[in-house]
Amino acid sequence: MSATREIISSGNDLAAIAAVDAGCMFFGGYPITPSSEVMHTISDLLPKVGGTAIQMEDEIAGVAAAIGAGMAGVRTLTATSGPGISLKAENLGLAQMAEVPLVVVNVMRGGPSTGLPTRVSQGDVAQAKNPSHGDYKSITVCAGTLAECYTETVRAFNLADRFMQPVFVLLDETLGHMHGKAMLPTVEEVKAGIKPRKKFEGDPADYKPYGVAQDEPAVLNPMFEGYRYHFTGLHHDAMGFPTEEIETCRKLIDRLFKKVDAHRDEIESNEEYMVDDAEILLIGYGSASLAIKEAVNVLREQGIKAGLFRPITLWPSPEERMFELGQKFDKVLVVELNQGQYLEEVQRCMGRRDIEKLTKTNGRPFSPADIIEKVKEL
Amino acid sequence: MSRIVMRFTGVGGQGVLLAGEIFAAAKIKDGGYGVKTATYTSQVRGGPTVVDIQLDDKEIWYPYAIDGQINFMLSVADKSYQLFKNGVAEGGTMVIEPNLVHPTTEDKQKWNIYEIPIITIAKEEVGNVITQSVVALAIANTMTKALDEDVLIETMLSKVPKKVHEANLKAYELGKKYALEALEKGPSK
Repeated sequence: MSATREIISSGNDLAAIAAVDAGCMFFGGYPITPSSEVMHTISDLLPKVGGTAIQMEDEIAGVAAAIGAGMAGVRTLTATSGPGISLKAENLGLAQMAEVPLVVVNVMRGGPSTGLPTRVSQGDVAQAKNPSHGDYKSITVCAGTLAECYTETVRAFNLADRFMQPVFVLLDETLGHMHGKAMLPTVEEVKAGIKPRKKFEGDPADYKPYGVAQDEPAVLNPMFEGYRYHFTGLHHDAMGFPTEEIETCRKLIDRLFKKVDAHRDEIESNEEYMVDDAEILLIGYGSASLAIKEAVNVLREQGIKAGLFRPITLWPSPEERMFELGQKFDKVLVVELNQGQYLEEVQRCMGRRDIEKLTKTNGRPFSPADIIEKVKEL
Repeated sequence: MSRIVMRFTGVGGQGVLLAGEIFAAAKIKDGGYGVKTATYTSQVRGGPTVVDIQLDDKEIWYPYAIDGQINFMLSVADKSYQLFKNGVAEGGTMVIEPNLVHPTTEDKQKWNIYEIPIITIAKEEVGNVITQSVVALAIANTMTKALDEDVLIETMLSKVPKKVHEANLKAYELGKKYALEALEKGPSK
């Protein structure tokens, strides 16, 4: 997408605006710091386009309402912070199992539990991979700039409809609340790029919503159009009815993985900043990457060739690119606002354990000086 | 223009956030880059609040002010003043509300501290305490000469409801007047 439209806004507002531009027609949620502005703004915007925003009685009901709208066939959003994801987890598992598309914005704050409500963290990265029990494959994108609070939310809606499952958009307190300039694609361009979910057009008698190829998502037609099927969190057959038939159960979970794994090229997205001639590789994402970029610029002025690899899609992780970079760079430093949740993934992808880390979990952001100092120690 | 870094500090509920947004937006409208971040506590009212504003002609990556690089700080609460004063560069400028903020003698040697009764001006001369953020905006811009005044006022008016345009224009004029008087008088020693 091109970036021709200048907007002065905050990350949370941009996520809400993006949802509406991407065709979202329903929001169900419950306010929580630091994500509340997503709800405030979309509550204002949705009625103007004929959509609906509902503040439910709690986080659980918020996501349940959003999933219901997804089942009915419209683009739907919920927004919260880590404690809200903990509460929503069971229903998110239902959406994974029943293959209901939904976008979940998580504006991360300090945890565990109620933690540090007004302060930044990247502590929910592991949670986004597996928020509920059971086996499935998460799709999680992570904005690193104000503009990406918009563009990644738009992308999340297209991914949700393509893969028929919840898609997480991770923001954090810094990005959600920072206010500045974002260069965005035009609304027309966003609308032209909307790829709605697949629909079965044949005879309703032949319709088998879950009877699809082993590397493809379910094809769930909107409700009330004459195509009947069943939603359940239980293992189910091609029509959605519960079953314990051995092969059907095996194939169902296998497909929940394969539908994502077989199409990683459609999901993966990374940024490489001054990596080509770098001698030290830094890996970071989200708002931490803002401090890293500033640090890379200062280090280069001082003659130290550092570069940044920034995964924008965190799950599934960019396995192959990280493996290649692990072969190329001797010194690798992972910088994240948790105790090393993505570090473990970098170690796995690179097949190495000698990865350096710089972590922080006191609710304060990294300063570029923190990073510069650490790089000089390596 | 080299980077201008400002910090507004107060306590939650005083409305120091708005001035930051206006500064950032005005700089962007003027063709540059502006970023505002706010840090606050989970206390709804009364917790220390800090707003960082960075204005530059070049793109700004890191959104927070870096301690030691702050050119200008404005403070309307003592606890936030004490917490955040050391981020201001030596020889930097500070404006404090003298009824609420109490700098030490050493502070007055280290920084150029001007005393302007921001809240009293808003409350008694403008007649609306909420306009203190616009009084602060005018003081900050008059002291730092960060932005073209017309662009700043136009941006400010676009961010406040029409029915309070007049009060906010008055707040801006008063803030500017007090800032010019303070500059003429010199920093508090």
